[in-house]
Amino acid sequence: MEDVGLRHIQSIVRPTTADEAWRLRTADPETTRFLGGGIDLVLYTPETVTTLIDVSGLSRARVSAGRAGLAISAGMTLSAVLETPEIAAYVGGFLRDVLRQVASPLQRNVATIGGAAMRAHPWSDVVLALLVLDAEVEVFNGAARSVPAAEFYASRSQNVAPLVTGIRLPQRTPSTRGAFEKFVRTGFDVGLLNCACVVEVTKGVCSRVRVAVGGTPALARRLPDVEQVLEGRHLSSTTVGEVASLAARRVDARDDRRASESYRRKLTEVGVRRCLERLTGGGSEDAR
Amino acid sequence: MTSRKLTINGVRRTVDASPGDTLLEVLRREGYVGVKKGCGSGDCGACTVLLDGRAVNACLVLTAKAEGKVIVTIEGLAKGDALHPIQAAFLDEGAVQCGYCTPGMVLSAYDLLSRNPAPSEGEIREAISGNLCRCTGYVKQIRAIQAAAEQMRGGRNG
Amino acid sequence: MAERTRESFVVVGQSVRKVDGVGLVKGKPKFVADVDLSNVLHIKILGSPHAHARIVRIDTSAAAQIPDVVAILTHENTPSTRHTTAGQGYPEPSPYDARMFDTKVRFIGDRVAAVAAETAAAAEEALRAIRVTYEQLPAVLSIDEARAEGAPVIHDEADSTGIYEAARNVVADVDIDVGDVERGFTESDVVIEATCETQYAQHTPVETHVVHSYLDSDDRLVLRTSTQVPFHVRRIVAQTLGIPIQRIRVIKPRVGGGFGTKQEVLLEDIAGWVTLQTGRAAFISLSRAEEFVAARTRHPMRVRVKLGAKKDGVLHAIEMEATSNTGAYGAHGLTVLANTGSKTLPLYNKAKNAHFYGQAVYTNLPVPGAYRGYGATQGYFPLETAMDELAERLGLDPIELRRRNHIRAGETSPIFEKLGEGREGVSQTVKSCELEQCIAVGAERIGWREKRGTQRREGPWVHGVGMSIMMQGSGIPQIDMAAATIKMNEDGSFNLLVGATDIGTGSDTILAQIAAEVLGVPVSRMIVTSSDTDLTPFDVGAYASSTTYVSGMAVQRAAEKVREQILSVAVPMLKASVEDLRLAGEHVVGSGGARVSLAEVCRRAMYSSDQFQIAATASCVPTESPPPFLANFAEVAVDLETGRVKVVHYVATVDCGVAINPLMAEGQMEGAIVNGIGYALSEEMLISSTGRVRNPSLFDYKIPGALDVPNLEVILVGSYEPTGPMGAKSVGEIGINGPIPTIANAIYDAVGIRLRRTPFTPERVLTALEGERRRKGER
Repeated sequence: MEDVGLRHIQSIVRPTTADEAWRLRTADPETTRFLGGGIDLVLYTPETVTTLIDVSGLSRARVSAGRAGLAISAGMTLSAVLETPEIAAYVGGFLRDVLRQVASPLQRNVATIGGAAMRAHPWSDVVLALLVLDAEVEVFNGAARSVPAAEFYASRSQNVAPLVTGIRLPQRTPSTRGAFEKFVRTGFDVGLLNCACVVEVTKGVCSRVRVAVGGTPALARRLPDVEQVLEGRHLSSTTVGEVASLAARRVDARDDRRASESYRRKLTEVGVRRCLERLTGGGSEDAR
Repeated sequence: MTSRKLTINGVRRTVDASPGDTLLEVLRREGYVGVKKGCGSGDCGACTVLLDGRAVNACLVLTAKAEGKVIVTIEGLAKGDALHPIQAAFLDEGAVQCGYCTPGMVLSAYDLLSRNPAPSEGEIREAISGNLCRCTGYVKQIRAIQAAAEQMRGGRNG
Repeated sequence: MAERTRESFVVVGQSVRKVDGVGLVKGKPKFVADVDLSNVLHIKILGSPHAHARIVRIDTSAAAQIPDVVAILTHENTPSTRHTTAGQGYPEPSPYDARMFDTKVRFIGDRVAAVAAETAAAAEEALRAIRVTYEQLPAVLSIDEARAEGAPVIHDEADSTGIYEAARNVVADVDIDVGDVERGFTESDVVIEATCETQYAQHTPVETHVVHSYLDSDDRLVLRTSTQVPFHVRRIVAQTLGIPIQRIRVIKPRVGGGFGTKQEVLLEDIAGWVTLQTGRAAFISLSRAEEFVAARTRHPMRVRVKLGAKKDGVLHAIEMEATSNTGAYGAHGLTVLANTGSKTLPLYNKAKNAHFYGQAVYTNLPVPGAYRGYGATQGYFPLETAMDELAERLGLDPIELRRRNHIRAGETSPIFEKLGEGREGVSQTVKSCELEQCIAVGAERIGWREKRGTQRREGPWVHGVGMSIMMQGSGIPQIDMAAATIKMNEDGSFNLLVGATDIGTGSDTILAQIAAEVLGVPVSRMIVTSSDTDLTPFDVGAYASSTTYVSGMAVQRAAEKVREQILSVAVPMLKASVEDLRLAGEHVVGSGGARVSLAEVCRRAMYSSDQFQIAATASCVPTESPPPFLANFAEVAVDLETGRVKVVHYVATVDCGVAINPLMAEGQMEGAIVNGIGYALSEEMLISSTGRVRNPSLFDYKIPGALDVPNLEVILVGSYEPTGPMGAKSVGEIGINGPIPTIANAIYDAVGIRLRRTPFTPERVLTALEGERRRKGER
């Protein structure tokens, strides 16, 4: 269809409130879609869709800092998010470093954080990061509420996915560290597998451990067994090795054309270990 | 078809576009053929244009999303006969072979240099990482962007 | 006139800007699709969903009812002439096994029908409305299946010609002997054997195949097409459509990359037919997915190499056996196969005994064709990795083994004569070869002595260095033909008209440099018109590394003729004898310093006395094909835990004779090497068990981007090729052969594994590493 474009789209509407947007979307779920940056709509919209509901103007694009943490409005592009000083300072620049490895600058200049969170491609680096950061997804489906990312992605079976209006990142202690590892074929690629860890390290002891693996080839998921093993422990090389090999056993790896299940298990072990090793080395670092 | 107001290369224009038309389709139809099509899926970068100063894949942007924004295509870069320093550097460094990826590559470099006048080689590579070129091997393009940056900063000591 | 030397060049050897460069950086309308397309018919092609099937019935009645549909093409209403899509010299060495639309489909994506409509959307809709009844046939999906006893016959039709043995799916068979190879191995002290396999890979020019056709005001068919072979397009379209060559004009505008895939007549027949039948302009452009599925690829091959050497490290026998998968059609099947031997074996001419044997077989898979390197790429993988192994067995440095065996200036190889482009070759003596120097310079740059064998660790990464050497050719001797015309204008400028086909290589520019050098003018005084079959003289086109050497020589000869005419006009003006005159700085200059401008000379010839047009045409049919030479050195790092291979540093030292435009020559090398790195590490068309391409997109077929390029150094090691224009040889293809064996050898140096199958993906490398660990553990 790449030559013919989206001929089936008859109109683009611009509601001014989330409520209005939601009413438009639910009035005729088959023929409508929310429009953010628009990349995924251009690439994957079914031909039944005739109306796009542009939600990018519902709130001002910004990152605001409050006592509870950071609030990112859904309409911000990935570039805009990663260039914000607040994001650069957040968990040692962890989220910035993840976003810098998403697609290419050309796409990051268009794709919105809300769209990335909502679309949740199985290889998504953004979803992976939201999971390990204990982010909350602000949604609107008749009423506004904030859902923990883990819950949001676990319960995505409703007919009409709620409108994502923002992302909340909780306030984290200065001892919180994050690391991200993405295994690619070339520099501009989706991961054969991606993984991330965020941990609070106080006097060498881990707490609030988050470990997630994505592109398995399914969407990123946290590995609670693995997190639990690490909770309250020192990040010694024995522990790291133990945790990494547990992650390799627990990950829901499968074959696809990009990689085999067994290779993905190996990558999980290597990726989790490298993330944890990097945590002990302090802050996150640019993987490029 | 709906008529839409677009600002292209500093000129306000009213163009006819269906709601589902991408910026790539509309710009080419309107004669901005320096915007190239290589894949239609955001993987090659041949259709790169600047949207409010930022380089984007025109094939992934619905025209409706460009309303009220400033669009710059490769046709808008040179001032008459005077090439933009990036364009001149691409020629002088041998960074142009078939020339099909060149407009997109030049505009990605433009976006980079407008925000970062003294990029590292790594930053240059990252900035053009969405612009595929099958002819050059990127070596001379990276060098051209370095040379242009230096020129735009005002010479060797700039 | 004094003999030309490298030192005397004024324009040649300068990295002047591309003559078409300013328009390109400004995004001017230079490519096929850059015209007003508001009133053209849009053509879309229906591809086969089956790998092998007979078309029992095609019902187009519903499709024809769709508004805006103007024409529907099937095997029932189009010419049935068998031809080859390979744009080669006539008579083509490829079989005539293709039809515009056939009654049988032979791979998924093979043409079934085409629709021309007022809009692309209507054409797409009509394709969906065409009802086709197929009788599915068992499919052949590998070279082993193709050669199996009782395999389905892919080309069982009676009217195809030029197939070696259709009943056994064998397109071509090549078998040549030098000396007695079996005895050679018996007499050798060390024998090494290696079998390597290469994958389906694609050229992926950023511009896909695209054609715009229309009738001119005299009802002649004009084809504006993105092609490497405009004159072959004209001839093959005339043959396919059954119309006179005279009625066709082919214009090649700028081309957005070719690399061999546009040495193929893929779409021009359909666009031409639509325009002839409807009288309307037509436009067809492959989508990226269609390009992957239905355009051309590199021939996947299995190549076995056996080397025998004496204790002193001199090769005594070489054997190469190649099996090539030529897909559903035989385009370039024979010649790519032959080049696998002919462009590799002469490099090691010390071996007195040699044998090359190969077959190209049909399969129900995507269709390979010409691809930069043209078989040599597939041959150098086993040859140069086997040389690495041989060096180890002999206890020699790999560099030293090459030094003892590679061909040198003043030497020949019997292979040159025995094996050519699908027929006997042409004997030749190598006249320029700086391979020794290339090796020395490259080894120094990479730090060979310090790094080899050290297996430097850096976390999980282990570093290693590897090297390889190679040659290619410069055109096809006694087959290729190029011609050039130069005419002079009264302001002292010149029109240079060449059939040569600039596909982004810069040939318009370097040909202008050659002419300008002879005529004593700057390049800015040359107006280049290329590749228009109505306006420019014949040239075979851009392939076989021929343009600089063959077309360049035609240009040089034409310029020399024009130069003589200019001098003859100037003689009475300067009252001097011809021997005392030379051309420099846009003037004819006498020995005493007297001078007259070229503009004055041309004005006299045009308007005053003994009037005539200063102009000349000259041709070149080369009698030999001087090889360029290349030494490759790579430092790689291998991640022991994930198998990922990173090329850290790559040094390519090349002897391409005199580089007419050094920046452009480097650019040819850099592009070819990076393409080769992709071929070595990440590019692979994945084919399903039913024959479907599983990754027909740049999203999943991974070519290198700017983040993947190593520290890449290309060093031009100059030589002077006496038979070439201004001392030049070719440089277009050779670079792509380097990365696979060089990286493979560097991986071996780093981690001790020999990789036999490309691409060296992380998963394959890790599997090999684990196998090696197990093997070592068992011992």
